[in-house]
Amino acid sequence: MRLPACSRRRFFSTVAGAGLALPFFELLQPGRARAANGLAERLIVFYFPNGVAGTSQDGQPSQWHCTGGGSNFELSSQLQPLAGFRDECLFLNGLSMGPTDNGNHPGGARKLLTAADHGNGESIDQMLARTAGADAPFRHLNLGAMVMHDNPSGDAFISYSGPGAPVAPQDDPVAAFEYLFGAGVPGGGGEPGEPDPRQVTVIDAVLDDMDRLRAQLGDLDKPKLDLHLESLREVEERIKNVSDLPATCKDPTLDTTGVVPGSYDPSTFPAVLRAQIDLTVLAMACGLSRVGVIQCAHHTSDIVITQFPGTEMYDPGFNITSHGASHYGSSHAGQNYDAHFQQGRYWADQFAYLLQSLADRPDPLGGGSMLDTSVVLFCTEVSDGNTHEHHNMPFLLAGRGGGAIEPGRLLGFDGDRHAGLLAAIAHAMGEPVGGFGDTGTAPLSGILS
Amino acid sequence: MLVAGMATGSGCRDRGDSAAGTDTDTGTGGPGGAYDAGLTEGDSETETDGEPGDACMASRAPRQLRLLTRHEYDATVHDLFALVDPDSCSDDAQCPAGATCEGATCQIETVLPTSFEIPGQGGWNSVHLAGSFNDWPGTVAEGGWALDYDAGAGTWTGSFEIPAGQHLYKLVIDESDWVPDPSNPQTADDGFGGSNSVLDVEGQTQVVPPRSLTFTEDLPAEVRPTGYPFDNNAATGLVTPVHAEQYMRAAQAVAAFAVAESDAWLPCAPEGDGSVCAQQVATQLGRRAFRRPLDDDEVSKYADLVTGEASFDDGLRVALQAMLASPYFVYRFEVGEPQGDHFVLTGYELAAALSYGLWGTTPDDALLDAAEAGELSSAEGVQAQVQRLLEDPRAREQVGTFAVQWLEVEKVATIDKNAAMFPSFDAALRRSVLEETRRLAAHATFAGPGGFDTLLQADYTFVDAALAGLYEIDPPDTDWAQVAAPPGRAGILGHASVLAANAYPDQTSPVRRGLFVRRALLCQELPDPPPDAGGVPDVDPNASTRERFEQHMNDPYCASCHQFIDPVGFGFEHFDPVGAWRDEDAGHSIDATGQMRGLESLSDDVQDFSTIPELASIVAGSESAPACFATHYFRYTHGRLETSDDECALENLARRFSEAEHDVVALIVSTLTAPEFMVRR
Repeated sequence: MRLPACSRRRFFSTVAGAGLALPFFELLQPGRARAANGLAERLIVFYFPNGVAGTSQDGQPSQWHCTGGGSNFELSSQLQPLAGFRDECLFLNGLSMGPTDNGNHPGGARKLLTAADHGNGESIDQMLARTAGADAPFRHLNLGAMVMHDNPSGDAFISYSGPGAPVAPQDDPVAAFEYLFGAGVPGGGGEPGEPDPRQVTVIDAVLDDMDRLRAQLGDLDKPKLDLHLESLREVEERIKNVSDLPATCKDPTLDTTGVVPGSYDPSTFPAVLRAQIDLTVLAMACGLSRVGVIQCAHHTSDIVITQFPGTEMYDPGFNITSHGASHYGSSHAGQNYDAHFQQGRYWADQFAYLLQSLADRPDPLGGGSMLDTSVVLFCTEVSDGNTHEHHNMPFLLAGRGGGAIEPGRLLGFDGDRHAGLLAAIAHAMGEPVGGFGDTGTAPLSGILS
Repeated sequence: MLVAGMATGSGCRDRGDSAAGTDTDTGTGGPGGAYDAGLTEGDSETETDGEPGDACMASRAPRQLRLLTRHEYDATVHDLFALVDPDSCSDDAQCPAGATCEGATCQIETVLPTSFEIPGQGGWNSVHLAGSFNDWPGTVAEGGWALDYDAGAGTWTGSFEIPAGQHLYKLVIDESDWVPDPSNPQTADDGFGGSNSVLDVEGQTQVVPPRSLTFTEDLPAEVRPTGYPFDNNAATGLVTPVHAEQYMRAAQAVAAFAVAESDAWLPCAPEGDGSVCAQQVATQLGRRAFRRPLDDDEVSKYADLVTGEASFDDGLRVALQAMLASPYFVYRFEVGEPQGDHFVLTGYELAAALSYGLWGTTPDDALLDAAEAGELSSAEGVQAQVQRLLEDPRAREQVGTFAVQWLEVEKVATIDKNAAMFPSFDAALRRSVLEETRRLAAHATFAGPGGFDTLLQADYTFVDAALAGLYEIDPPDTDWAQVAAPPGRAGILGHASVLAANAYPDQTSPVRRGLFVRRALLCQELPDPPPDAGGVPDVDPNASTRERFEQHMNDPYCASCHQFIDPVGFGFEHFDPVGAWRDEDAGHSIDATGQMRGLESLSDDVQDFSTIPELASIVAGSESAPACFATHYFRYTHGRLETSDDECALENLARRFSEAEHDVVALIVSTLTAPEFMVRR
């Protein structure tokens, strides 16, 4: 007799539907709240591909960057969906990712979160997952929406566990939900609320092999084995330190209506992205993680944006890809430009949805809403989609970071490195680094309150 | 060397040039253990500077751990526990997404597009369909399905995917007059004194194979560095926290299967306290799982896990899960033992390298026995095992896997193609499209004469019924059959996999197809377009694709690079975005004449061609293409991109490949028996 090949899919629906009380890990405890110390509880990075409607080749002004300064500024047309969060966002103009690879997508994606040329460094999200986020059951969430639709090369990913080591996101919200909330494959044999003795035995045996291997190899392939060991320790923690989910998330459920696991049909893109946003917020509200990345497609993606139902650019009679639209020509005009402008608004609208979801939930550790206690970064890998400049990059932060950040302002910089923004995020998360990236840039002034 | 005619200084040059001048550090070049004398004999004719046989010792293959790919992981656990993919189902979960288990087979309900052809009447500006299938929209803007006027036939026509079942609809003329379809006699009262047309759409039931037993679908995708098209890169094969968790779960799931079907693999029956059998399992299974014998401590450790639970089966589950989640299982080792100033792979490590290289799975007992007996420390011993492995069907499959990764066509399974334009390009056809390329690669390597040249130029190919439909040839009598290449096609350049992977969802791309030839087949890298390069030209009903793309050639700045790209890609214009033949490009006649400029080194020489078989012949006749193929095989087996230190090794491989008249088996053998395959620094 054969067991069903794919029992875990069914397990997912059982868990989600019946709302079982699951044995769970030691969660982030209110006693550890950072907001009390003016620090952010968590970081979420929201990435979208192919730049914005920036300054055009023939000199038309950016439709993404805001104008004005300080608290006296005008929200740009592409950012209108954020009108309700004007006072919760810190808008940033004039930041540069440096001259290396200026003018292309992959070079921008490699530098975006590493601030290191050619992706030759750990990205800010991974660094913070390893440090500020290390006390969470899952130190890093990396969720994607159709990132893998065309089997891209590694330069499509933005999160780097180390130099030259990008990490692929999970595109399937159903599988990701199961990863975070499922209690492994059934049949482990533990008592509810207690560690599963067999899994304890197994993880101890695996760690023992790891010790032998490291002793045997010395320094050979050490970064690889260090990462592997840290990863096993995270699993060990979850197996051994079991506790119940907090009352606020006893029955974790995820609405995956419209999501077809394994499908890359663009008509399901909005449903997938919505589910990944919901899952990120849910996991963080349940205290499972402090650091998450949400990656929408990837640079130069051929995803057909005019087939995203319910969006401004939806047009079944017109086929344009995300990348195709971004190459709208030298001027802010024409059908491609319209689609590019609209996709920028769509990403801003989805970002607003994320912010609303955070604002709607009280932080389980106290300190106001989850938006009040978070730092949320909105970013893409080039500035204008057509000129591909790495200067005047479209960055913005949202949330108050537990008091570390004072939003509701527009800050203008003069070509300062975005490494300084990433360093400031580290400070907001309670990691006072001297600098970040391959230039070791110190935190930008004006970001931290 | 900059390319002649590069007055604009755009930096268009080939990859080979970039390595020139940064010559290798020839190093100390000591012998590579017992192999050298035998294995580098052929090198005595090399023109490379330095001592014969030592020349390639500059190659600096690193000592490293190589993480199993998802594919290798699944193949390995299948082999360890004699798991067999189900050929019938008992549950929906065993069927692919969208399919259900009916009786004992997985079935998918599909519908073919429904076509409408309405006789036209004078003076209509528009006709659209409105009905229960699209919520009765009054205008096209609100979602009405517009029909197109065919002036020649005098009819309004359109084709739409409508779900199975009964539907009611009307035609809407000029977005104002609602009338029943005059060509459809079936009507029903519409309740307003008129009538609706009635449409019955029948679903088609398609039987699909059950899912194979995969345990790795939730592991993150492998990271393929830029320019490295394979899934087995050693440097980026890292165990992140997500991997660690998913390895634990996968191991648990495999252990559950294995114990449920232990008859198929368990070497003994437990008696008494089970300790004797536990020892045997730890010893025998451990050797295959870790691809080396376990030492006494390890045997005790895993045997104790088996006997440490309430029942033998429980203990077996725990022991198997621990073994499969162990770093000794998920990595294979290229660490070696010191020999002079370098390291040589152990016999067991070499056995794993050969097995994963040729079969994509763990060594069998015969290979491990050969390693244990020391047979892999001699050139003859290695040769004998390579020959044996090549005779197994798994070697054919692995060549197919290499081919679809090298050509970067696996994406055809998931990339978007406009469903309204290409309704037949469904999941099943996409699978067939990839299978064709796998089959030709395996056949050209193992069965056909001509090897690599045949891969490029074959006047035959393999089709199933779905693919025969795409190619508009007679369907075969059996599942898959060898057939003459359809008209206008030859070798992989005529495969729908290559043609569809290098096109947009709704239009062809002469640039992508031209770049494919330059990069995948000739290993020539062209610089990224400048920041202010325009995008894909808009679809313009007044111009053919070729005319729209030819703007690159009219601008001297663009032309400095695009002269090497587009004129090659124009040669594919008879093939639409999914690789089907087309006589017209949206009403425009097609000019599919092409030009290969600077075949070997992006220089000024030009060869004209007017068909794909001619282009295939030009590419096959080059020195660059076989050398490029050899380089890709080197990358695949070594798990890394080459460096300038590998230049000599690559030259040797290319030279031997050429001496063997591009026999792919000869290339495989010379790659896997070369000293740089066994020596580490």
